[in-house]
Amino acid sequence: MTRRLLPTASVVTAAALLAIALPFLANSYFVGVGFTLLVWLALTESWIVISGMTGYISLGHVVFVGIGAYMAALTWLTLPIWAILPLGGLAAAALAMVVGYPCLRVRGPYFVILTFGLSELVKYVIVNIESALSVSGRVLFGAPGVETLYLIALALAWVSFMLALVVRESRFGAALRAIRDNEEAAETIGIAIGTLKAAAFVLSSIVPGMVGALLIMRSTYFDPLEAFSPQTSVLIVTMAVIGGSDRPLGPMLGVGFLVLLQELLWANLPQLYMIVVGALLIFVVVWLPGGLYGRLQRMTTAAVR
Amino acid sequence: MTLLSIDAVVKSFAGVVALDHISFEVGEGELVGIMGANGAGKTTLFSVIAGNLRANDGAITFDGRRIDGLRPDQINRQGVARTFQIVRPFGNMTVLENVALGVLYGRRRERSMAAAEAKAGEILERLGLSDRAGVLAKHLTLAARKRLEIARSLATEPRLLLMDEVLAGLTPSEAKAATELVREFHASEKLTILMIEHVTRALMALSQRIIVLHHGQKIAEGTPSEVARDPRTLSVYLGTAPQ
Repeated sequence: MTRRLLPTASVVTAAALLAIALPFLANSYFVGVGFTLLVWLALTESWIVISGMTGYISLGHVVFVGIGAYMAALTWLTLPIWAILPLGGLAAAALAMVVGYPCLRVRGPYFVILTFGLSELVKYVIVNIESALSVSGRVLFGAPGVETLYLIALALAWVSFMLALVVRESRFGAALRAIRDNEEAAETIGIAIGTLKAAAFVLSSIVPGMVGALLIMRSTYFDPLEAFSPQTSVLIVTMAVIGGSDRPLGPMLGVGFLVLLQELLWANLPQLYMIVVGALLIFVVVWLPGGLYGRLQRMTTAAVR
Repeated sequence: MTLLSIDAVVKSFAGVVALDHISFEVGEGELVGIMGANGAGKTTLFSVIAGNLRANDGAITFDGRRIDGLRPDQINRQGVARTFQIVRPFGNMTVLENVALGVLYGRRRERSMAAAEAKAGEILERLGLSDRAGVLAKHLTLAARKRLEIARSLATEPRLLLMDEVLAGLTPSEAKAATELVREFHASEKLTILMIEHVTRALMALSQRIIVLHHGQKIAEGTPSEVARDPRTLSVYLGTAPQ
């Protein structure tokens, strides 16, 4: 296992160490773009732990981001930052633990719709809690600057990538991929599918919870409609699928591509962004089933031959 | 010694009785064949034993312990493996990975990936699949996929193997090779085998005992020659002679 992991792990770790230098070299616009890139990378790599490995496509991963954000908004200024971030992750994991086992009993499109519905449900529960408390939006005073947030995002993206990589090459990950290919056969050769799927779901929720806490420190404002926006879930899926969601390197390509696209379109045609994203998703699903990474891999193996 | 005991097992689907109070025993080291026309309940019987389906009534005992009501993965870890009639490989994984999974999660519960792959390599060697180890399972021919199905089941180190039509769809020479394989494993691994087979000749040649199912009921049981002469078997296969 370590033999297969080592090359990718060391290259990515070296890149992460180099990336620490960015806030000291570039202006805050580039640091901001870097922050966005790393946040999406952290979310997408975590998403593939459940959806890429098992084929259970979660269209509700924003629920973990939102829960993390809400936790941070509630505890802001009462707890220090180093405690708020793990708390966000913990809250997300707790939610995943409660809903994971029952949700993962349904497959295919049913699971997709269920996760989407669940995230909307939690969103409106929190909207109602907030309005019952007569709070409309929470402002976070004294949040750290983008340079600090960038470094935290870098750490989270690294953790998320390593998680995906280790799971992919592990005994656990092999079972998850077997579940994706044929659940009944997996069960029949001794794989406890219910437990393993739930474990993967919980693992995939932790970093998004922490990212949620981080994101509202950046925006310094918590609004449940924004924090639980379904657009986030759709973008996670699209980035992973465009990149190729089976291996940890795939989403890197998808995230890089879409964040770049976003930066290009944002200034001129912001309303076009989601339309382009949707069109891209359809294009990739129909014509590039393995995503960009799968395409590259096939081209290189063809070249070697 | 009795390894598997089926006692008055009933399974029905929305009123249609697929298994109607089936009872029989399989001794340790036996090779028992199951015969019957389409819809006789053969595959349902396997699914109920392996835990893929839950019986409505009756008891299944394996090695002195009740296994009905357990999950398929738990039953497999007790030492029961099955192959599927319609093969179910993990298509996007290599042949080696497919078999290694059996070693990792079956009775052995191997923790190390390297050790599991080494063990899987040995099994592939014995089944003549070594040259295909690195191929994705979905790219195999049907005959090879059937072998893979057996290899993956054997990798879980079963004491009882349920083989569902491993010869169906094979050419005569492939079927002959597969038959030899079954015979060899039964002899060398002290493996108890329960096999469903449509190819009656192969079943007669391999089995020590045969059970005949018809419309969910057990209508005959005995040695191959006894069963072949049994009037109830003959009436199912050939129709009733006019009086």
